[in-house]
Amino acid sequence: MSALLEVRDLSIAIAGAERPLVDHVSFDVAAGETLCIVGESGCGKSLTALALMGLLSDPPLRRIGGTARFRDRDLFTMPPRELRGLRGGEMAMIFQEPMTSLNPALTVGDQIAEAVRTHRACSPAEARDRALEMLRRVRIPAPEKRLEEHPHALSGGMRQRAMIAMALANDPALLIADEPTTALDVTVQAQVLDLMVSLQRESGAGMILITHDLGVVAGLADRVAVMYAGRVVETGPVAAIFDDPQHPYTLGLIRSIPALSGERRRLVTVPGTVPTPATMPEGCRFAPRCPFAGTDCRAAPPLAEIAPGHRVACHRAPIEEKAA
Amino acid sequence: MLAFLARRVLVAIPTVVLISMLVFGLQHLLPGDPILVMAGEERDPEVIALLREKYRMDDPIPVQYLAWIGNALTGDLGTSLRTQQPVLELIGEKLPVTLQLALMALVVAVCIGIPAGVISAYRKGTWVDWLANLVALSGLSVPNFWLGIMLILLVSVRLGWLPASGYAPFSDDPLRSIQVMAMPAVVLGTGLAATLMRHTRSAMLGVLRADYVRTARAKGLSERRVVIRHALRNALVPVVTVTTILFGELLAGAVLTEQIFTIPGFGKLVVDAVFNRDYAVVQGIVLCTGVAFVAMNILSDALYRVLNPRMGEVA
Repeated sequence: MSALLEVRDLSIAIAGAERPLVDHVSFDVAAGETLCIVGESGCGKSLTALALMGLLSDPPLRRIGGTARFRDRDLFTMPPRELRGLRGGEMAMIFQEPMTSLNPALTVGDQIAEAVRTHRACSPAEARDRALEMLRRVRIPAPEKRLEEHPHALSGGMRQRAMIAMALANDPALLIADEPTTALDVTVQAQVLDLMVSLQRESGAGMILITHDLGVVAGLADRVAVMYAGRVVETGPVAAIFDDPQHPYTLGLIRSIPALSGERRRLVTVPGTVPTPATMPEGCRFAPRCPFAGTDCRAAPPLAEIAPGHRVACHRAPIEEKAA
Repeated sequence: MLAFLARRVLVAIPTVVLISMLVFGLQHLLPGDPILVMAGEERDPEVIALLREKYRMDDPIPVQYLAWIGNALTGDLGTSLRTQQPVLELIGEKLPVTLQLALMALVVAVCIGIPAGVISAYRKGTWVDWLANLVALSGLSVPNFWLGIMLILLVSVRLGWLPASGYAPFSDDPLRSIQVMAMPAVVLGTGLAATLMRHTRSAMLGVLRADYVRTARAKGLSERRVVIRHALRNALVPVVTVTTILFGELLAGAVLTEQIFTIPGFGKLVVDAVFNRDYAVVQGIVLCTGVAFVAMNILSDALYRVLNPRMGEVA
């Protein structure tokens, strides 16, 4: 499969800060594929997504290196006007906060129709029809009524559906979803995710799904990239990540999923906390929390392929003993 | 919306009553006696007694108040103690003048203040922002009378572009009327523009960071559309409130500016009335201004609801 999106060595830093918040991050997304980016809060997942969309708040955040090729066009060097043409058209994004991501002053229909009209030449009536069609596709009840309503009249789940309708209105080839269900009730989360996946299957779009929910990853991902403190520490097919995790951090994450059956035990956690940019260790950033760390971990480990498509950044990989 | 307006008007009634009591009460605390002014140089005790009886000055103040407010409700604000003209007629003469000046000043303020606020918020921290703030600060600190005099010197005396003073009714000659009012409107408007600019700027700074502005950008909209349709529209909510209050202040008349440009508006009327202890006129004007303020507040709330659909369901 040729890559729809190829990100290489993406680095992002706060202007003036020494250490980057996102450090040489690389990954690919193929058409029709779902890549899950997993990691704790503050590991740089969302920054990576925003950088791809050209939406880093600028200043203070700056992309300081790397390339991103989308359909063989470089996202970072293309003129702003061309990038604007992609945004919301071929590349669309769904945000974490449905409650605040819609404009409170405009009706839902206006906001979706605006996305349509920005990217195709059509009459207001056609854009409106398309907005209605999209609201139907995301299975919002009484779509004709919702079209005329302001966001405050919709529940969180419905607002996120409306956001999805807006993002998919122009049949994007790549959909970036930044924790799209984190702010929703658990029962609604599953519905919204199912919806996104079925719409993605229909359209054959590539998707980057950013999440910290490993259950979601196991259910939806084709491939996974695990991020820790601004770096990708492990990436590979979803089966490989869950069945044969090689990075101690991935291992810790998977072991911390509470089991529903069997004996009740204390929740397993990864000891320690994520380093702040100021206290970021040299070398392997996970070393201070790692049960396997040794002196060689003071040098940064390269992201090395240990099985086809499965890469890991750890001097200890492959980890022989998984039980500990 | 109608129910909302009706409720707001009902709530406003006690406010207006309170204003009228304050107006009436404070007026009587002023030193000086209008009857003595009217009686002239001789101060004939008989004349004074006659006048006192005519204007019921010997009644207790609450009785006087009730008589006054009763008449006011029927549209009779009394007659000027000095010119014997009905107060309502005086106000009717001056109101269009002040209204025109206020509207023109407001147009100037909005046309300068809001764009300047938007640009300086959008370009926060750049030289454009600095410049806009500097100009705004100057606008706030430069006294109107000085600016007025300087404008007269430059525009009328040196360049001869506009008349220095006077008044032409809008209904007689609209073009000339606007020309005559242009300079005073600019003088008043620039001061207000500075206030509007500061409010617009701070509202925009908040809104530009909002998630929905990011969503608008993610849709691929042009920056212009993001800023105007998505950000400014929401930032306007607090700005509208400020604008209506400023307009209320303008309606009260701009004493100094009217004096400099010799405009026969409210400001001049009220100053003359105070100096002559012309109780009826002062009371009438202040009551009108108070009512205008209350009306502006109701208008501001109504606009608020138009701009901010969320308010609709609260009421």
